[in-house]
Amino acid sequence: MNYSNLFKYWRTVLTVAEMSLRTQFSEGFVIFAIIFQPMIIAILAMFMLKDKGGDYAMFVVVGSGLTGLWSSLLFVSGNSINVERWTGTLESLVGMPTPFEVIVFGKNLANVVQSLLSMVSSYTLAAVLFGYSLTLTQPLLFFITLFISMFAFICFGLTIAPIFIMYRSVQQWENAMEFPVYIICGFLFPIALLPEWTTPISYLLPPYWAATALHGTSTAMMPLNQVLFSWAMMIIFSLVDLVIASQLFKIMLYKARVDATLDVD
Amino acid sequence: MNAIEVNHLRRVYRAQIGVFNRSIKEVVAVDDISFEVKQGELFGLLGPNGAGKTTTVKMLTTLLIPSAGSATVAGVDVVKGANEVRKKIGFIFGGERGLYWRLSGDDNLRYFASLYGVDPSVSKKRIPYLMELVGLKGRGNERVGGYSRGMKQRLHVARTLLHDPDILFLDEPTIGLDPVGAREFRNVILDLQSQKKTILLTTHYMFEADALSDRIAIINKGCVIAMDTPSGLKKHVSDLSVVEVETFGASETALEKLRALPFVDSLSIEDREQKQILLVQTTRGAEAVPDVMTALEGQRVGRVIVREPTLEDAYVRLVGGAA
Amino acid sequence: MNTFTKNIYLFWQGTILSYRALFAWLRPVTYMASKILMPLAQMFFFVFLGSYATDGTATDFYVIGNAIQITAVSGIFGVTFSVGGDRDAGTLPYLFGTPANRFMIFFGRAFMHVIDGTIGVIIALTWGVLLMGLDLSRTDLPALGLTIIITTFSTCGLGLLMGCLSLLTANVMFVNNFVYFSLLIFSGANVAISTLPVWMQVVSNVLPLTRGIAASRMLVAGGSLSDVFPLMVSEIGIGLMYGLLGYFLFAWFETQAKQRGTLETV
Repeated sequence: MNYSNLFKYWRTVLTVAEMSLRTQFSEGFVIFAIIFQPMIIAILAMFMLKDKGGDYAMFVVVGSGLTGLWSSLLFVSGNSINVERWTGTLESLVGMPTPFEVIVFGKNLANVVQSLLSMVSSYTLAAVLFGYSLTLTQPLLFFITLFISMFAFICFGLTIAPIFIMYRSVQQWENAMEFPVYIICGFLFPIALLPEWTTPISYLLPPYWAATALHGTSTAMMPLNQVLFSWAMMIIFSLVDLVIASQLFKIMLYKARVDATLDVD
Repeated sequence: MNAIEVNHLRRVYRAQIGVFNRSIKEVVAVDDISFEVKQGELFGLLGPNGAGKTTTVKMLTTLLIPSAGSATVAGVDVVKGANEVRKKIGFIFGGERGLYWRLSGDDNLRYFASLYGVDPSVSKKRIPYLMELVGLKGRGNERVGGYSRGMKQRLHVARTLLHDPDILFLDEPTIGLDPVGAREFRNVILDLQSQKKTILLTTHYMFEADALSDRIAIINKGCVIAMDTPSGLKKHVSDLSVVEVETFGASETALEKLRALPFVDSLSIEDREQKQILLVQTTRGAEAVPDVMTALEGQRVGRVIVREPTLEDAYVRLVGGAA
Repeated sequence: MNTFTKNIYLFWQGTILSYRALFAWLRPVTYMASKILMPLAQMFFFVFLGSYATDGTATDFYVIGNAIQITAVSGIFGVTFSVGGDRDAGTLPYLFGTPANRFMIFFGRAFMHVIDGTIGVIIALTWGVLLMGLDLSRTDLPALGLTIIITTFSTCGLGLLMGCLSLLTANVMFVNNFVYFSLLIFSGANVAISTLPVWMQVVSNVLPLTRGIAASRMLVAGGSLSDVFPLMVSEIGIGLMYGLLGYFLFAWFETQAKQRGTLETV
């Protein structure tokens, strides 16, 4: 498909996002993944990094928020199509004139927006429970980075979902994919700690650039050219993801109609 | 132009069996099916479970790719022009699934309307209208999870009418409904028919097909075995009468004796609580009654009726399975 | 069959079947992923975070703590699914409709996970030795093995209780995730318990794992079985306490469900 559809269908994207927020927000597991798990990781990290001094509290808030963003993308966005299959709604969605990518984009938008709550809840935790006064070093740049990061996460999620659908065996690695990304993207500690050979892998993952720029603009004074470089990387990766995703969706939908896997029975 | 044209459609499923020794088994769901549905016609697709009705409907609604053959809906090929077809059709697969149970009825419709590209200003008016049409007026704010089965199935009808499609596919829409619910549902279908919609209805309730359809195709084992108007189909059995005998626990040997009678065309048995109704299809009409009674000697027998054949009798004879 | 062998049989069946049901949908490779890679990734994460915090001075502390913590994957997730899975599958009414010994059914569901969890910890410790420089040369290995089994047992005890709670709350995923992640804070795997606020220390002390992790650290540092003996006895006690609580809750749940006719819906 061509992504001008996203503009043509902007209203649909918003409706899809609204409805998936409404359905998911009563789901215990979703609440856990976006609020409780990041909060627990934040508590742990605050205890562990207490002696580091400096701006570690803000660092933990941003880092644990990122873990929530990734986990929800992995589990919620990754499974969103499967859930539709179980509830029998996938056939209706496919049998509609709206391109399927538009629907999934809307769903991912909802997931990413709701997982911003991860950051908010970690922030509240640090401010209220631990009593830190938290300030952003470069607020404007931080929020622009956050906005671009959300877009990058959504696009990254677009490539994951069809892969999970087509290759169920890949999806079974889901659990094993949660923590490696926390590690390799430098959410809560710098990747300099890792063996050198992992560095190129980090560079290839959009969440790494998100983490770098978000940490840099919240706890340090990141030079503008570095911030811009991170933004550029995220945007380039997003565009690549969009191209890949559109091919994957095409293959996936055709394959599902050949293999009769749109419904569970 | 015909609204639906089906040419030698075929669909094979490949199923993987076994966990360790994985092997592929091929199942032919639809073998070779052809038919046309005219604009504004209500076309019934009748057949036993597993005959290939649902598979046919899924191919026509662009949800399955045919293994062979072709089909057009509204003049557009269902594979090549899938997206064009989708704009013009609505479909329902019977049962309660396929809705968002955590959302309200109105929200479900709002969501699907947006996916069908219905302008919000239009859907704002259309949703209440449809909720009223399907008898859910005033229930739109409730979560679908709390709806009864019949309400959910009627919400599906509203869902499928959101974009005002010309062609509707209703796959066993009344399945699992209680008699009252099913009747209300049929009234909705009649209503749609009066709006000149083309409807393809699958069902295995004979009287439903008889009452609603302009024409019927009976399919069995993936092939069309008869296609005609309901009265045309009944002509297949115009030489027959049906002797209905009420019995209470008739023995197997008595039934065997009955089957062995030369003038008995077929025998089917319906269980109704503690009694059974024996349906004896015969060319001899009322004259057959004495011999039938002789065969049932020693059994407890209730009412005996001789009646004209129904569509169901035609179906039984054509499918030949239920005897 | 006499009652005894019948009960053994029942125990065994519950064991094998519940375990198989849990993993049957996985292929061997992906079973490995969930058993080997996931624990490794999680361990790496916390070990790196710990090294970052302490500038690499206390790696062993985190390696041991997180390796033992792996037992909770089987003890909490495995066991809660084995107990809670019946309701999702709709088989609970049939189970409660049988005359089978409830005690055997109940504990049968946990048994395989004790073995599973023990193996998980051993794999994790092996990773520690191979990749993170964990030194076991001064360690009484049989004693460490025993500690691991006991810790796994007591964690499964908590899992049984949680499984029953999930029957009541209808939200298995939330309950077990919450407990699992809370254990990461309270067990002392990543934060020395003495540095926690007092109320948190109290919680730590009534949870399984805490003593197991402490004992394992002592053993790796060269301690003897007699050094950790008191810790192990209380660890067993804690496991029994939760297991029995779970059993009584299970029994209570059955009576309640039968009285109110809520087997399927509670």
